[in-house]
Amino acid sequence: MTFPGGAAALNGTLLEARHISKRFSGLQAVGGTDGLSFSVDRGAFVGLIGPNGAGKSTTFDLMSGVQTSDTGSVLFDGHDITRSSPDTIAEQGIGRTFQTPRAFESLTVLQNVVAGATSPGESLRWAFGRSWRNQETATVESAKATLQRVGLHERAAARVGDLSGGELRMLEVARQLVRDPTVLLLDEPTAGVHPGLQERLAGLLQDLHSGGMTLVVVEHNLHFLLALADHILVLAEGELLAQGPPADIRADPAVISAYLGGSDAA
Amino acid sequence: MNWPQLLVTVLTLGSIFGVVTLSLNLQYARGGMINFGIVAYFAVGAYTYAIFTQPPPQGLDQYKFGFGWPWWAAVIVAGLAALVFAAVTGWPTLRLRGEYLALTTFAFAEVFHSLLLNERRIGNGTVGLARVERPFGDWGPIEEKYVFAGAAVLLLVATLVVFRRLLVSPYGRALDAIRDDETAALAAGKPAQQMRRQVFLISAVPVGFAGAVYAMFTTLAQPSLFTAEVTFIVWIALVLGGERSVYGVVLGTVGLVFFEEIVRAWPFETVRSAQIAAAVEHVVTGLVFIAVLRYQPFQAAATRLKVSK
Repeated sequence: MTFPGGAAALNGTLLEARHISKRFSGLQAVGGTDGLSFSVDRGAFVGLIGPNGAGKSTTFDLMSGVQTSDTGSVLFDGHDITRSSPDTIAEQGIGRTFQTPRAFESLTVLQNVVAGATSPGESLRWAFGRSWRNQETATVESAKATLQRVGLHERAAARVGDLSGGELRMLEVARQLVRDPTVLLLDEPTAGVHPGLQERLAGLLQDLHSGGMTLVVVEHNLHFLLALADHILVLAEGELLAQGPPADIRADPAVISAYLGGSDAA
Repeated sequence: MNWPQLLVTVLTLGSIFGVVTLSLNLQYARGGMINFGIVAYFAVGAYTYAIFTQPPPQGLDQYKFGFGWPWWAAVIVAGLAALVFAAVTGWPTLRLRGEYLALTTFAFAEVFHSLLLNERRIGNGTVGLARVERPFGDWGPIEEKYVFAGAAVLLLVATLVVFRRLLVSPYGRALDAIRDDETAALAAGKPAQQMRRQVFLISAVPVGFAGAVYAMFTTLAQPSLFTAEVTFIVWIALVLGGERSVYGVVLGTVGLVFFEEIVRAWPFETVRSAQIAAAVEHVVTGLVFIAVLRYQPFQAAATRLKVSK
């Protein structure tokens, strides 16, 4: 099921799930009877919504290699990445954040973002030499600029243990942005983020979208998501319940019944 | 008490075991791997050195291999043998985490120890290999014991420099990231499994060298020298020194060896006083450990030197 991603649709499919499914202890988390299938066009801004337990985060896990699909396949830019490792997938250009924000606790905020980037000095072959130092300077500058972008520049020297939940989410976004991914999967980026930072995040996502980055965002804050995304996928019990532009989703009776719980909820 | 002799012994053994503790520190504190079988890699180095330097078997010798190689070649082979042993033992174990890895590495070490005890063709069984070449001798006016101490310190410093260089690089930062949160590190493109395996292999090499120097120092490679007690002494040294500081780790090891040696060398006037000392030794050891853990003097010293990692 390919959907039109506005002008971006002209660029073709970037990320595609074909009949993927996942069971945990015999319980179907994703996939239903025929597996979950959808595709994301290059440059699209896709919202992935659904009630708790619908399989949104598991879908992200399957797309990013954190979990392996029991059936079907995941294609990225035409390549099958179903059984690729998460680090390989990340290197290929899929960035992701997690429902519960993750950080490297022994590192400072700035070091966390620098650690997100790939450095030649991370290879054993080059680590003992000095050639990585030039690249390191550029990476640190890039990390600082990214922190500025997400509004954490004043917290650069802080330990991550001193950050609020919202700041941790922004840090996770920064750690992926510094990698300049082709597609960014964001799992509930506004959860616990105060309104000021949410506003900054909305602006940032718009910037990234207009800059050509493909975005897939899981979000319970529908006011936030429906105002930004140009296409919505609705999951319920691991299956694709509906998809379309935000306006259509708002009016879809099946979605309202399964998820929104009322016609004015969004 | 013969203080110069004591200090030279502490310096030599402290440096040898310091190398082992540093390697354990790299595996555990940076790589997040609990190795309860580090003594096996140490023993591999010692036995390899002994086998490659000793003459072919004669008379009552039960061992089958003695190559009579020069000491320097045998030291290199000892490091390589530890590397190969790490590759063989790491392959099936490094997918495990935490206590499972700890128990598996412990089991490997016990199997190896049992092999040394029972397979006489390798190391003469419980008797061990006692014809280990001691290569240095006196260097002009410098006595052999000082040459040994110098060689051990040199190995320690070399290990420290190499490990530190690795750890201050982006490679070290990536290791920290993997240890802190492997899932997040993978999402940031860090090949966690590959890097963990590399660290396991790299850290085994100096342990093999240390085993070779230990065999030279004791002129003996015997199963009783390579029991699980060695593993736990090294772990204690790591904890005492503070896992976050490579310099603290070295200070902790030297401090522990100093404590052990001074207890061993203390001149008791009577048999009765020696018996009393033996009885209270464990109590004093426990109290010293508690005090060290409470006040963390080795970490503090490392921090004061501004060399803490």
